[in-house]
Amino acid sequence: MSTLLAPAACQLPAAIRISTIGSNKAFTVLHRPPPKYKAHVPLTNIERGALAVGSAVISLVHPRRGDLIATLGETTSTPYFIYRLRDAMLSSPTGRRILRDRPRVTSLTMSLARLRTFPPNSVGRAYASWLDRERVSPDTRDNVRYIDDEECAYVMQRYRECHDFYHTLTGLPVVVEGEVALKAFEFANTLLPMTGLSLFAVVRLKKQERSRFWSTYLPWAISNGLRSPEIINVYWEEELETSVEELRMRLGIERPPDLRGVRETEKEARKAAKERRERLRGITVA
Amino acid sequence: MHVWDALSSESKIDFSAGENGRKNTSAIAYMTENPNLTRALLARLESLEPISSFENAKVTSIDLGPPQDSPGTLNLSSYPHVTTSSSTSPLVARLLIGADGINSPVRTFAHIPTRGWDYDRHGVVATVRLASRGGSHSQIEEAPKVQDNVTAYQRFLPSGPIALLALPGDYASLVWSTTPEQAARLKGLDPADFAAMVNAAFRLSVVDVDYMSKMPSGQVDELAWRLQATDVPREDETKYPRIIESVQEGSVASFPLRMRQADQYVGERVALVGDAAHTIHPLAGQGLNMGLADVASLVRAIEYSVSHGGDIGVQGNLEAYESEMWMKNNRMLGVVDKLHKLYGVSWWPVVGLRSLGLGTVDKFNGLKGWMMSQAGG
Repeated sequence: MSTLLAPAACQLPAAIRISTIGSNKAFTVLHRPPPKYKAHVPLTNIERGALAVGSAVISLVHPRRGDLIATLGETTSTPYFIYRLRDAMLSSPTGRRILRDRPRVTSLTMSLARLRTFPPNSVGRAYASWLDRERVSPDTRDNVRYIDDEECAYVMQRYRECHDFYHTLTGLPVVVEGEVALKAFEFANTLLPMTGLSLFAVVRLKKQERSRFWSTYLPWAISNGLRSPEIINVYWEEELETSVEELRMRLGIERPPDLRGVRETEKEARKAAKERRERLRGITVA
Repeated sequence: MHVWDALSSESKIDFSAGENGRKNTSAIAYMTENPNLTRALLARLESLEPISSFENAKVTSIDLGPPQDSPGTLNLSSYPHVTTSSSTSPLVARLLIGADGINSPVRTFAHIPTRGWDYDRHGVVATVRLASRGGSHSQIEEAPKVQDNVTAYQRFLPSGPIALLALPGDYASLVWSTTPEQAARLKGLDPADFAAMVNAAFRLSVVDVDYMSKMPSGQVDELAWRLQATDVPREDETKYPRIIESVQEGSVASFPLRMRQADQYVGERVALVGDAAHTIHPLAGQGLNMGLADVASLVRAIEYSVSHGGDIGVQGNLEAYESEMWMKNNRMLGVVDKLHKLYGVSWWPVVGLRSLGLGTVDKFNGLKGWMMSQAGG
């Protein structure tokens, strides 16, 4: 393929070649423009599409592949969606401050030792204990590579690095069921296509979990995600000492039903229903 | 002239003199400041004898003359009598021309109703000084300097268009149509922040412009950050006006934008010209041109009356002016009003369609030549 393309590309007048390289709209794999930021990999539309489809399929089969979910997030965020999110940040004073300061969440900027000393109900403490429980570190997040606009790449990076704070805020656990509910919330709030596409993972849930998702968690996610202001505009670094309850109040987010508690109740209800059914069967037989 | 749409980065139209149909002209149109015009008019008046002019005088009233005393004496009861603050006896006019602006007292006297509406917009105007392009590199100075400040720029923001029109030297005239609240905020900014705000309005995204226009101060700093964070391709620098360096002190002013059309341009012994007859949104810069065309047409009507021994004040003799100009002006008012409404929409299907339309027009040089001949007057 490339040998076929090469002569044609060489025949292009110089002016046209320069102009296509100058813009980020169209270029061939033979004339890939230089990266715009450190980790940047400029992609053609075909490459971006192929990566999106590939990462979507494989991450559905292997939901633990965070790198693929990250790739899916980046390749489906343009056109429109990441720009919309960036504009949402630019419309808010705090969002603008974040874009200006460009804080990064790493184990260096977020000292876990310090966070563990915070009051138990604070955002920082909750975040630290959440990281401890899940045995992850803030450094496990990949760098954004496939978004062409440098500022939008930071917005995606910020969203990714703040995802763990969203867990802290909503109290949703990292089991697939909780993760899907949180993604639904993020979709309603950020409109990023990857968060919406992640909802396909609902097919991997057990029947009971799935019905719980449709009846409880999806309605919660949509109403809260739409009602609360853009959570990308929360300057988490400044909220570490705020109590989780207070922050949730300020953002207008209800705490979703406790997933573990709900599971217990459902289990009992199921048991009771089963007994009732058996009793009924006994009556009809008699 | 370079015109573009803030909501659609690809959507633009360029006008340049010498495009098809206008080969023998060297410019699309010329800008002149009001003092120059006034000076020229005064000089012309002085050369015409005998002309009486009343300086530092105000019209205190306009009335019809008293009823005829007795048969056989002069009957001036249908003539307008203008009383001014500097004269004791009224001026009796065979023809009273109202060139007295949107709230025309002459029009009120003649009981001519007007129709139209107020745009919920104010026009902010200022005279600004431009910085040289790309700093003071020697290679820039070698470039022909004359060519540097001859392009007019206009960008359609959702709240209204902002335009920068070249003036002699490094100066330019700014017209920014925007909401009354934003106009008030702009006027309250300190000069450096005002200049930064104008630069932002030409270069930054609509979101940034909206945000910055609501800031009480600090636009200079905000602009510096956004220019460095925003991906402005360097080779497209000529697509934007030169950076505005400063604002001429005391030149910032604003006025409400309206559309008005008088039902009639003429009455018995009365003719209306300019804003007294019609008021237009400034987005196409047609207000002055329309007024000048009115005057030319009215002069033709008067010349005809005089050369045929007619009474210049009789409505029937003035109607040639009205029939020539009323419909023409009405069309221009309508077109500009629709443009204002079209560009006031942010809904994406409309943005898409208008971009397509503008892109199409941009490809047709003949059509553009015709538009320029209409706009240049």
